Amino acid sequence: MSKSFAVLPCNGLDKGAGCIAREIALHLIEKSESEMICPVLYRIADARYNKIAQEKPLLVIDGCQTRCASKLASEKGLKVTAKITVTEEAKSRGFELGDALRLGENELKLAERIADELLLEKKAEKSLGSETAAEGETVYPETYDYEVYKKDKFIFRVPKEGFLFNENDSWVYIVGNIARIGVTDYVQQSLSDIMFFTPPVVGNEVEQFGELGEIESGKAVFEVVSPVTGRITAVNEELAVTPELINMNPYEKGWIVEMELTDLESDKELLLEFEGYFTILKRKVDEFHV
Amino acid sequence: MSEDTFMGVPRNTIDWSPILDYDKCNYCMECVKFCPHQVYEVRETEEKKLIVKNPDNCVVFCRACGKTCGVDAITFPDKVATTKKIKETRKGLAGNE
Repeated sequence: MSKSFAVLPCNGLDKGAGCIAREIALHLIEKSESEMICPVLYRIADARYNKIAQEKPLLVIDGCQTRCASKLASEKGLKVTAKITVTEEAKSRGFELGDALRLGENELKLAERIADELLLEKKAEKSLGSETAAEGETVYPETYDYEVYKKDKFIFRVPKEGFLFNENDSWVYIVGNIARIGVTDYVQQSLSDIMFFTPPVVGNEVEQFGELGEIESGKAVFEVVSPVTGRITAVNEELAVTPELINMNPYEKGWIVEMELTDLESDKELLLEFEGYFTILKRKVDEFHV
Repeated sequence: MSEDTFMGVPRNTIDWSPILDYDKCNYCMECVKFCPHQVYEVRETEEKKLIVKNPDNCVVFCRACGKTCGVDAITFPDKVATTKKIKETRKGLAGNE
């Protein structure tokens, strides 16, 4: 019954969103067995917090998109279990954040609501997982035949057959009217160590080039750009716990979502086969991957 | 230099690049530091210290610099409309061959 986090909040005291992040963290430690990691002290003296960070699932609360708390977690090599960004949470609730650093009644309420939902979500996790996992009936090959392009110590694999690609470095593997989708080696090599995956919502309709969640490393946040149009039928639940599967092999265990296709013929106009994508990948690697 | 086509369509026919809201921008320059394609240019001595200098260098459908923006000052064109336009341009190009 008791659910708790190691909470690593933004503590940006010069921004309203940072002050709210701190307030959410306070609620969490008051209402559960959660423990707080002070980002300021953690940066210079981590011994005090290492134990907490290892014992409890880590919740990172970023204030804004500068993502200081996430970057700190990445720097310290922490495994992130859950993550929110206050500006995004506010936006999704239609809440206009002001510049004031002293929290008003509305900001305090917002912080409490977000904290309460985090504790609730933690409760619901188990039941959700089992629903989506049951859907994957299609059997996919365990491995594929790859062409490899090397640049210095970096290796970029591209599967030679059965995959289509878009220029935004996503792939699609189609079986009937179901497609499995992921990113290519170019994405995972560019991001380096992936620490968090924000999944899209199962059941959502997505247009070609629409967003299929986000992959995040200490370096950047990458939006997965859908190669096809359709309805999301499953997300790779493993990535919630082990996002580094994308680094290990983004075509196999590091796949991202499955979709039911609704407009494949039209989508194909803007999809590339192996040859076309491999040419583009080589150019990108030569130009940008330093 | 960036490639000058996207899916076979000339890049300069595709309207895709960041749009800056100067009322929100605090010139932290995180987007400039992030973008490896020289889309932005910093102009220290001018009132608008940051401009979108090379819109056609922007990777079509990439919104990554927007995600570095702490004050949410960067937006992008609509993806569905952009996709539709690219497909129309492709059809036009095929028809002229």
